Amino acid sequence: MTSTLKGITLKGSAELVAEFFSFGINSILYQRGIYPPETFTRVTHYDMSLQLTTDPKLKNYLTNVVSQLKEWLFECTVQKLVLVITCLETNEVLERWQFDIECDKSAKESSAPREKSIKTIQDEIRSVIRQITATVTFLPLLETPCAFDLLVYTDKDLVVPDKWEESGPQIIDQSEEVRLRSFTTSIHKVNSMVAYKRTDSV
Amino acid sequence: MDLEDDTTVLTTLKSFNSFISRPEHPQRLSDHSAGSGNLQSQYKRSMELLEAAEQVYSKNRYLQLDQEKKQMEMSHKRARFELEKAASDSARDLEHEIDRNQELLGRIKKLEERETEAAKNLSEQVEANRALRKNLEGLNKKLEERDSRLNTANQTVSSLKDEIRELKQKIQNKDSTISTQTLENQELQEQLDLQRRKYQEVSQVCQNLQAAQSSCSEHIIKIKELERRLALQEQDIAIVKTVKSEVARVPDLEKELKRLRDDNAFLRESRENCSLLKEEVEGLRRKLERMEKTKEELVNMELDKERLAEKLQAWENLGQSTGLNIRKPEDLSREVIQIQQREIALKEQNYTLNSRVRSVERSQTELRAELSQQRSKTLEEQKKRESQDALVRRLQKRVLLLTKERDGMRAILESYDSELAPTEYSPQLSKRLREAEDVLQKTQNHNAEMEAQLTKAQEETGTLRLQLQTVELELDSLKKQQASAADSSSLATKEEVSILRQKIEDLEAERQRLEEQNNVLEMRLERHNLQGDYDPVKTRVLHLKMNPTAVAKQQRQQEVEALREEVTHLRELVRSLQDGGSLVHSQDDSSMHSSSLGLSLPPSKEILDLRKQMESSELRNQRLKEVFQRKIQEFRTVCYVLTGYQIDITTENQYRLTSVYAEHMDDSLLFKKGSNGSMQLMETEFSKTLGEMVALHLHHQKSIPAFLSAVTLDLFSRQTTI
Repeated sequence: MTSTLKGITLKGSAELVAEFFSFGINSILYQRGIYPPETFTRVTHYDMSLQLTTDPKLKNYLTNVVSQLKEWLFECTVQKLVLVITCLETNEVLERWQFDIECDKSAKESSAPREKSIKTIQDEIRSVIRQITATVTFLPLLETPCAFDLLVYTDKDLVVPDKWEESGPQIIDQSEEVRLRSFTTSIHKVNSMVAYKRTDSV
Repeated sequence: MDLEDDTTVLTTLKSFNSFISRPEHPQRLSDHSAGSGNLQSQYKRSMELLEAAEQVYSKNRYLQLDQEKKQMEMSHKRARFELEKAASDSARDLEHEIDRNQELLGRIKKLEERETEAAKNLSEQVEANRALRKNLEGLNKKLEERDSRLNTANQTVSSLKDEIRELKQKIQNKDSTISTQTLENQELQEQLDLQRRKYQEVSQVCQNLQAAQSSCSEHIIKIKELERRLALQEQDIAIVKTVKSEVARVPDLEKELKRLRDDNAFLRESRENCSLLKEEVEGLRRKLERMEKTKEELVNMELDKERLAEKLQAWENLGQSTGLNIRKPEDLSREVIQIQQREIALKEQNYTLNSRVRSVERSQTELRAELSQQRSKTLEEQKKRESQDALVRRLQKRVLLLTKERDGMRAILESYDSELAPTEYSPQLSKRLREAEDVLQKTQNHNAEMEAQLTKAQEETGTLRLQLQTVELELDSLKKQQASAADSSSLATKEEVSILRQKIEDLEAERQRLEEQNNVLEMRLERHNLQGDYDPVKTRVLHLKMNPTAVAKQQRQQEVEALREEVTHLRELVRSLQDGGSLVHSQDDSSMHSSSLGLSLPPSKEILDLRKQMESSELRNQRLKEVFQRKIQEFRTVCYVLTGYQIDITTENQYRLTSVYAEHMDDSLLFKKGSNGSMQLMETEFSKTLGEMVALHLHHQKSIPAFLSAVTLDLFSRQTTI
């Protein structure tokens, strides 16, 4: 957060959004039980207690993705970040956490900071993360062993970096969608939503 | 009364004592003071005094005695009274005693009677006693006889008991011999079992032998085969020799091979070329076909062209005929556009005309309204005029009347003038005349005014009429105009308008439909967006190659592969084992032997060893079992002989005790071992009969051995006493 208290720059915004993704992904993984709860530690951030993973492999993966994402956010070439939860037994996509990112590309030209305090942005982020935590109440239970993947929707003209490759959208067959809250840094606007496979019982 | 008397006595005694004690002092005083002169008097006096005192004393004594006497009398009376009382009591007692005496006498009599009865009884009893004694003596005699008999019987009994004892001993001996025989029998049976087992072993060995024989025969077959192979090999050797000779030719052949290979390569290339050429040919054929098609198309096109040229000619002709310079479709379109523009202009004109017509109509209606107003006005004016005409006529009449009156008046005046002197009445008359003239003039003025008004009104009506006429003319002209306008364009425009309206409606409907469709599509797009769909033209989806899903999947696959390998491995193992264990794997363990034992025909060395081991161990086990059994049997017999109880285990924790001296075979005692090791007696038919002993030894003394020995003793005594 390099920006001053008064406003927010493109770089600050990118960092703020990347940080949100880091915490958001961690809390989804914790809430949905993709990784065992004992591999998480409690951390206080955004004036609330959050769970961060201690699994070294996962940590490494997340830092890789988030740092790359930060770069793309700075370039305003990201459209979406999607967390896909796949069943390992059937290779079926069970849940899709989608974060639509709307970039204000005019911020790239003008470097003037926007008038929005970090505190209000963090308040918005906190409410989004709270909602993610609350979704556990209606999402169906993941009964089989699952793994997750992060998809990034970028502009077509982007050069694919090493270690990255193109992938399918991993769309859920017969899904239910729920829109969650959104927040904006006045440069990046993040709309969150979750889609999950409709179960027969519903 | 007595007490009062006593008190008086006491008082007198007191006074007397006081009197006695007092005079001593004066005597002494007199002794001292008076001397012996007065002695006589004194003596007399004292004598008197003494006499008085004696008198008093006697009196007192008398009184006292009297008193005593009274007392005595009183006591005497009392005594007598008491005596009388006692006498009466004794008399009463006496009477009582007499009564009792009588009663007793009655009793004595009764007793005497009884005594006599008893004496009688006694005598009877004595007689009976005597009879009984006689009986007794008889009985004693009998008893003695019996005793003697009993003695003899006892003797016989003792002799019999001795016999029984001997017999029992014999029986015991027999029992022991039986038990030993049963033991021997068991031993023999065991030996038999052993023999049987040995026989089984032998038979097994026999089987093995047979198996070995069969294997031997197989081996022989194998050997034969091998011999055959050997022969074949010899043949082969011969062949090899020929081959060697051929081998010498190999370099030549290799060269040839190289050449052929080259040729082959060349041919391959040529084949590839050929295929390429074929492809080309194919392509060319396709091209040709396409060309033919294009040719046909060309012909068609030419035909079309001719037709179009004809059409063009026709167009041109049309252009010439119409006078418009239409040479090309562009011209036509231009022309059409012009026409359309013209049409538009005409439409606009039409619209303007329509609007004008409408405005004119509006003005017409206004004018009509005005006209009606004007008409009403003219009617009013006419009415006014008529009324004024009437007024004028009336005024004229009046004027006539007045002129007549005036003429009359003048005639009267002239007559007066003529009759009278003008001087007398002339001023008066002239005055009147003047007045009358004034009035006349006024009326005339009024009349003139009225006439002027009338003319004015008439003029007004005239102007109004003129106006009306002009308006009517205008109206007519307008009507004409309208009619002409309607005639000229109304039909066309109306049709056009209706067509256009319909078109507009259609377009509106289509627009709404499209809007709805648009909404639906937008919603669908939104939904797709929510589901994660994307536009592949603008967007690409990226993810890290080494993402957790891929890693997990890979791990899973690896696991699956490992498991599959293991499965195939195990399957092979199983198959090899089923084939007879000829391929003994290093992983083979003894547990698998037993499963493969039944199927294997030629058992491996290891298996044989193990089998031998197993047999020896089994043999050892059996021997140990035998020894144990023997020992156990020995122990049991010893226990049986020593304690007199045979102990059997019926079920878990239950022991059945059968005594040596049991009267029946079924008589036994059941003990159950409790969880804490204590023994409890269970109820059996036999134990029910031993209630006393159970109560004494088990419940009271709480000793099972005591109970058992008591039972033994009881049974023993029962057996011996019979």
